[in-house]
Amino acid sequence: MFKQKPRANRFAEQTQRTLHGDAGQVRVHSAYPSRLNFYLVPPQYEITVDEFEEFALDRLHVLKALEGAQLRNKSREESKQQLDTVSDKYLPLHSNQAVKAHNVFEERRKDHISHFILRLAYCRSEELRSWFLRQECALFRHRYENESMAEKHAFLDDLQLDWKVLSNEEKKEIFEELVSASAWHASQYSGQNVGLKERAKAFVESEGFFEVNFERVPELVSRRLVYIRNGKAYVPMSEQVSLVLDEFRNRLSKALEVTAKMLPRMDEDERLMPVLNNINKQYLGKDYGAQTKGTAGAVTADEVDSLVAHFPPCMRHLHMSLRHDKHLRHGGRMQYGLFLKAIGLPIEEALVFWRRAFANMTEDQFQKGYAYNIRHNYGLEGKRADYKPYDCMRIITSNPPSTGDHHGCPFRHFSSQNLEEMLFRYGVPQTQIREFTNLVSEKHFNVACTRLFELTKKLQGADASALVRELITHPNQWFEASYKSSKAAEDPNAMQIS
Amino acid sequence: MPALANDDFGLHDDDVIMDEAVDKAIFRSTIMSSQDDADYGTLLRMFYQRFFPYKMYFNWLNYDTLPNKNFFNREFSFTLASDVYLRYNSFADAEEFRREIERLQPVKIDIGAIYTAKPKDKKQLRPQAFQPVEKELVFDIDMTDYDEIRTCCSGGAICLKCWEFMTIAVKVLDEALRQDFGFKHLLWVYSGRRGVHCWVSDETARKLSNDSRKAIVTYLEVVKGGAQASKKVRLNQLLHPSLSRALDVLKDYFPQLILEKQHVLAEPETWNKLLELISDQVIRQALDERWQADPTRSAQAKWKDIKQQLLASNYNEARAETVMREIIFQYTYPRLDDNVSVHINHLLKSPFCVHPKTNRVCVPIDPQTCDSFNPLEVPTLARLHQELNDYNSPYGSGKSLSDIEKTSLAPYIKIFDTFVNELLKEVRDQKRGKSYGVLK
Repeated sequence: MFKQKPRANRFAEQTQRTLHGDAGQVRVHSAYPSRLNFYLVPPQYEITVDEFEEFALDRLHVLKALEGAQLRNKSREESKQQLDTVSDKYLPLHSNQAVKAHNVFEERRKDHISHFILRLAYCRSEELRSWFLRQECALFRHRYENESMAEKHAFLDDLQLDWKVLSNEEKKEIFEELVSASAWHASQYSGQNVGLKERAKAFVESEGFFEVNFERVPELVSRRLVYIRNGKAYVPMSEQVSLVLDEFRNRLSKALEVTAKMLPRMDEDERLMPVLNNINKQYLGKDYGAQTKGTAGAVTADEVDSLVAHFPPCMRHLHMSLRHDKHLRHGGRMQYGLFLKAIGLPIEEALVFWRRAFANMTEDQFQKGYAYNIRHNYGLEGKRADYKPYDCMRIITSNPPSTGDHHGCPFRHFSSQNLEEMLFRYGVPQTQIREFTNLVSEKHFNVACTRLFELTKKLQGADASALVRELITHPNQWFEASYKSSKAAEDPNAMQIS
Repeated sequence: MPALANDDFGLHDDDVIMDEAVDKAIFRSTIMSSQDDADYGTLLRMFYQRFFPYKMYFNWLNYDTLPNKNFFNREFSFTLASDVYLRYNSFADAEEFRREIERLQPVKIDIGAIYTAKPKDKKQLRPQAFQPVEKELVFDIDMTDYDEIRTCCSGGAICLKCWEFMTIAVKVLDEALRQDFGFKHLLWVYSGRRGVHCWVSDETARKLSNDSRKAIVTYLEVVKGGAQASKKVRLNQLLHPSLSRALDVLKDYFPQLILEKQHVLAEPETWNKLLELISDQVIRQALDERWQADPTRSAQAKWKDIKQQLLASNYNEARAETVMREIIFQYTYPRLDDNVSVHINHLLKSPFCVHPKTNRVCVPIDPQTCDSFNPLEVPTLARLHQELNDYNSPYGSGKSLSDIEKTSLAPYIKIFDTFVNELLKEVRDQKRGKSYGVLK
């Protein structure tokens, strides 16, 4: 209670200023003096439910692009460029210099609100929280690095972070150690003609240092890039971004946990909960639902086997298991059946396909036990809903496979040995398998899948960069990309049309 | 059996397994009473009854003298003689801990994290309500990680020659942890067979997050890479202060240990392995040929040859020196088992266990005098038993001493006592500081 009070007052004061600012001739809006934001105070504006969803999805576009760029090892320049494009489109955020040309207040308000909506949507589980935290930190870092020096200083002054700056006497005392610990920085910043030690000396002489607890800069500590003594790390001012980011991460991480605890109270709100639940499951590209036509046109039951080469690993595994066991259990039938529907297998053909696949079954058994379900999937039975194929999020997070099940995501649900065998069968060279196991151990299942796509297509000689520009988050997305690229290869003119 | 008396209704699965195991152990010891196994059982019983330092052990893990959550929310795991493994035990105080130890006679005790609730209640709790919050920062250095460089023994075996690797590890890490990270309360322990453990027990160390633990471990790790990689150390020409300090230690040991005791440059097989660390194949071949031609050449001379050859092949002084340093580091710098250190809920064998194979007590090591520590002289159960009998016999000196003081365990216990007393002193000082704060 006591702690929260001053914050509430400060906020009240801020809204006051905001109102005042609207009326007066203030150039930069006082609610958002900088485009950088630590998101300490929740927004208190009225917005429509539509806006609520739109803002959230727009921000999600940016975060997903960030994730894609980061994890597919794009170069710094490349990913920066890509991010700028996506940001401009979905979440433009102009600096104070551009205050005349753009509605800076609106932009920053949207940034502010969308951040808090996603907090609500992504605080529910550890997995979601850590994903959100990672992307938000990356976004903050991206923005911070783009900011001008003056803006950075103004922003930090405003935050009042207490970092101890090393005085000249203190610096003199540990000068030699600072020099020895600056090998990396020296090699980054100074001329190439002098010896490393000389460069390091010049670097330390010209640089200011902060003294902080080593826990604040784990990244710099683990790479042995700073001098450490008695638990204090001496961080060059050029690495300030590490400190700011650490501060940002800590605060957001705590805030997310608090939000998670508060969330149950919101469950009563009938308008917002469905939106929120939808957001964290949201697939940003196509959902391959009823409105979209089958990717491969009309597919017949006989053609399915010839298309398996375009299937993502999860579906390929289901197909192989189906052929091997002449059966699939419910979870597998759902995941695979809806996938087939979306690639263009119509209901009549689906019934033929499954009937033939379940070869050991009598007609009667099939009709009683399975046909209904297949028709149900196509919206012909029960509540007649037209079901959408499962996206990766759903496959990865819900209904994990148990004994005898073959559904799920190979990257998420296979043992590391089986996964390695699978990758081996895909022709992934031994040297690169490690990259996959690393991605998987860090829970980047989509990234691993995307990497596999790029790699396998490259093995077949296609130009990978042209195939997927974003992360694979839907099995049908893999199919589409693979199918279209093979069509394009057959017919060079088709490429230009699509 | 007091543990069960409280639990008339819902027997825990663990309890059932536990009592079956106890029964089995008793059964085994009765039918095999003439064999070593039973001897071990009896001696272990004597050890837990007369030698295990319960009080100081409690004071250590409790970080105070009155029981608090540091102790009663702490996980202990036991391995019984029947190979049954019991996790998530916890105890209210030293007395309850002692009773359970003496009842179960575990062959191994593991210490886990301090949780948000009592580990023995784990099954009644929601997973969110049972989270690990604190644990000592621990390090585990095991001789098996040195198998690719040591030539004297392999696997579980050790001798005084290879023990020196451990001495180096203790010295290097002790200095780094104290000077770089400012930790003061370090307990080094012989693991009973072929390695050492370190328990960093400062309050700040206990509260470190997994990320910070990981940062420390990566900072300390220099030898990196699996069996596939031959060159595992890459150094900058300008050595980080922490590594310069380590190098001072390593240089003291390297010529003696690697060149003389391990004879690494004596045989083509081992010297070629060392030469693989030089990236230039021409240099490697030149050295190999030269040494093949002169089998009597001393290791010291060969060591000097390496640098000469580097300098003769367009390496400048700094680059040649870096290669030499990389070799020294790869052959002597401590090798850590990082999983143990990084995860807060990872268990590690407790001090004062008795290793079931060697029968040696896991005793503390004083880092100041670790050069003279000899693992082969660490008291075994049989020796403790003997010493106790000798002392108590009519020919003994007859002064009335505690059981520990009658044996060769005494000096090790003293190291532990000093360690715990320093911790307690700090806690007392802190409390005083706090109460002054209130007065102001």
